[in-house]
Amino acid sequence: MRNGFLFFIGLFAALTLSWAGVALWPNWQLGLLKPFYDQNDEKAYPQRTPGIAAEGRMVYDDLGCAACHTQQVRRPDLGSDKARGWGDRQSVARDYIYDTHVELGAIRVGPDLANLGARKPAYDRDDLYKLLYAGVGAMPSYKFLFEQRVISSNRQPADDAITLYGPLAPPPGTEIVPTHRARRLVEYLLSLSQSYEYPEATPVEPAAQGKEGEKK
Amino acid sequence: MSDEPLDPRVEQPGASDDSLVSAHEETLHHKSGGDAHYKMLPLVLLFVFSGLIFFGGTYLNRFAGHYHPEIFNEYAQPTNAAAAPVKVDPVVLGKKSFEQVCITCHQATGLGVPGVYPPLAGSEWVLGTPDRVIRIVLYGLKGPVTVKGNTFGAAAMPVIGKVTGSGYNWSDERIAAVLTYVRQEWGNKASPITPEQVAAIHEKEGDRKEWSAEELEKIQ
Amino acid sequence: MTAAPSHASQADVSEIDAVARWPLVLLLASALVWLLITGTLALVQYVQLLFPGFLAECPALSYGRVDMLLQSTLVYGWIANAGFAVGLWILSRLAGAPLRSLNWAVAGWFFWNLTVSIGLICVLFGEGTSVPWMHFPRFLYPAMVVAFGAISVPGVLAWTGRTQRPVFAAQGYAVAALFLFVWLFSAAQVMLFWAPARGVVQAVIGEWFVQGAWSLWVAPLALAAAYYLVPKITGRVLSGYNFASLGFWTLVVVGPWTGGRHLAGGPVPAWIPSVAIVAAVLLAFHYIVVALNLHGAFSRGSTALKFVAYGVAAYLLGGFVDAATALRDIAQATQLTWFTQAQGQLALLGAFSMTIFGAIYFLVPRLTNKPWPSTPLIRAHFAAAFIGTTGIVLAFAVAGFVQGHDLANASVSFADIAAHTHVWIEIAAASQAVLLVGNALLALHFASLLVIRPAATAASLLRPAPAMEASAI
Repeated sequence: MRNGFLFFIGLFAALTLSWAGVALWPNWQLGLLKPFYDQNDEKAYPQRTPGIAAEGRMVYDDLGCAACHTQQVRRPDLGSDKARGWGDRQSVARDYIYDTHVELGAIRVGPDLANLGARKPAYDRDDLYKLLYAGVGAMPSYKFLFEQRVISSNRQPADDAITLYGPLAPPPGTEIVPTHRARRLVEYLLSLSQSYEYPEATPVEPAAQGKEGEKK
Repeated sequence: MSDEPLDPRVEQPGASDDSLVSAHEETLHHKSGGDAHYKMLPLVLLFVFSGLIFFGGTYLNRFAGHYHPEIFNEYAQPTNAAAAPVKVDPVVLGKKSFEQVCITCHQATGLGVPGVYPPLAGSEWVLGTPDRVIRIVLYGLKGPVTVKGNTFGAAAMPVIGKVTGSGYNWSDERIAAVLTYVRQEWGNKASPITPEQVAAIHEKEGDRKEWSAEELEKIQ
Repeated sequence: MTAAPSHASQADVSEIDAVARWPLVLLLASALVWLLITGTLALVQYVQLLFPGFLAECPALSYGRVDMLLQSTLVYGWIANAGFAVGLWILSRLAGAPLRSLNWAVAGWFFWNLTVSIGLICVLFGEGTSVPWMHFPRFLYPAMVVAFGAISVPGVLAWTGRTQRPVFAAQGYAVAALFLFVWLFSAAQVMLFWAPARGVVQAVIGEWFVQGAWSLWVAPLALAAAYYLVPKITGRVLSGYNFASLGFWTLVVVGPWTGGRHLAGGPVPAWIPSVAIVAAVLLAFHYIVVALNLHGAFSRGSTALKFVAYGVAAYLLGGFVDAATALRDIAQATQLTWFTQAQGQLALLGAFSMTIFGAIYFLVPRLTNKPWPSTPLIRAHFAAAFIGTTGIVLAFAVAGFVQGHDLANASVSFADIAAHTHVWIEIAAASQAVLLVGNALLALHFASLLVIRPAATAASLLRPAPAMEASAI
């Protein structure tokens, strides 16, 4: 630490080394990852999220849903991800290439959402609207994503008004309608699917000789 | 160090800043010249460090997945997916293909729509000689056709194979797969169809327009 | 055997402190304000975990946004300002000369806190992002880099203009922290926001940034404070100081590589977490060296040193726990659970904050030339900080184990998991409340120190600092 200039060079070199190894090298390996073209389906996967769902991703991002939910499925022998119906295979890098901000999440206070649009039985819009409106367990309610409207005499009730019963039901003559943010968020959630079987997602086990995949 | 309780409101200094720096600098230069015993500590640290490096090297050797971008499982080997042709279960592929295209008309039940789209379940065309059904899917079918006693004529069977005018351009393998699927689904029991059979007919017939039922009936 | 002249005992308050007084007081005052804000937000967050309906009607304070606000105020509010204050003070003291170009520091302080405040308001109103430790809209980051650089200027000048040629470990650590963060932050913001990398590479870079911010900025500032305070208060040379330089370079070179361990099992190629795991284990060497050097913190007598002792203990424990939980077998049980929260709090609240509290109690009387007005307040703060921080860390650690155990069992629903962890979150919330009260006492105490005219100046109460003897090892 004696020679000033050498010290700074040393510090800078140390940082550059870790940057090269941890930021640049993965970027070189994965940064140009292309979609996988399936000859049989004649489609490239992953498919881009449609516009309204992409806007929903922005809502997910700014509401901070990633604080409680992850979007990374583990492989079946690592934990209970497959048993919980979160996904049949682990998430791979190719699943995220079209995400503007990757919402991997860090803590599972709530379930993993990577395959929410591909769950069986499937969620539909109404289920998700109700979930967001009412909250469940540790998940808070997001009533501010909805508006309560009076059903006036010269207008039909809204198509996407959610039906609620019991203490949550709105007073008679009014309806609960999702705002545009709620609509976009739900479209985004329904678009979340990592069901395509990429070759790298089911690798060769050292003992087995059979190969799986979708090529040719 | 004195034993009197120290007043936390003003912490007393144990040393001046200048001497702190210079005293530490001196310890760096302090040679063990006076006492002739080995300092154990540097040796111990060296061993510890070497041990950590050894652990690191072994760990990376086993679990670094060959630094390959497509190995996500630390226990896995790199796949050579490009090297060997991959065998796909034709029924699975065929089912997928059916559900993408054929299901719209022939329906998930394989029963079609009465009067409009012919059924595939129990259909003599499907269960009969492969030569006919392959041609139907490859090139399409136009004109009236009788299936299980009923006549269908309104809608034409589109061109599915890689033929001019096709909106689908399916490969021979895919056609073979979907036919294999159809010939064993909904109670159908007929032999699977191989891509080679489809390719042979494709080569024989070349590029042509849709078949009609009469032309097909001439083929045995 | 000594070539250097023996130093006569010196007064411990001098012109060095007088020159630095108001800029550093500004930094400390704003740091304490941010500390209270972040403590309140943390309490709100834990209450929201216990009662999901709490503030759920308010879009600005829904759980996710509170999480973002809390991380940002903790890191860019409390840690940044307090770290600057302590780092600059230590650099000026060890340089033996008053800080120069302090106008840069004050300007930097102003713009730093302004941009952080704007960022928080943006997050409140829905313009934030979920990138860990980088929640602000991207237009603020270049301003933050410039402000950081401006505040660092006096620190770097203090080091280049030092009166003694030799460099003490504390100076090395402090200068490294001030120098490296600018580059780290710039690289991260470019690769995440300005020319975003594709897909999961963003997650990898995010982990590199967070880990780098800890290893290259926050931890070095805490270590600088500890390395300075332990010999300064005990009056003894640090044993094992021969290896201090090795420990430093190990941290700087190996530290940022360990970020990828959080992605073990995740959608990244296996080599990334594997390399990070190896780095985390290698980093144990750094912690061993720090333990060898700083075990003097556990000497008795001084209250400030008690804070530092807690900080050092938390730092060492954190390091070994990080290495252990990096290994994939153990990570399987602890990753994606509250245990990672416990690790984060141990590092930021335990290692950094407690050490800095010790430094604050030591430096403020010298900086302002006024003793702290009240002993009970100091002891109360120590008790509250000790109980609060320990409670938070232990509660989340247990919650994490319980959660991890439940997550591994597919038949346990999330409502059940919430019920099982409920009592531990309650303990964490109570501990956070205690910690917040303690920190409020510190803030109150600091305010009263500034306002009250003391009966005796600190300089009159301080004994002359004796010269330190180089020990014969």
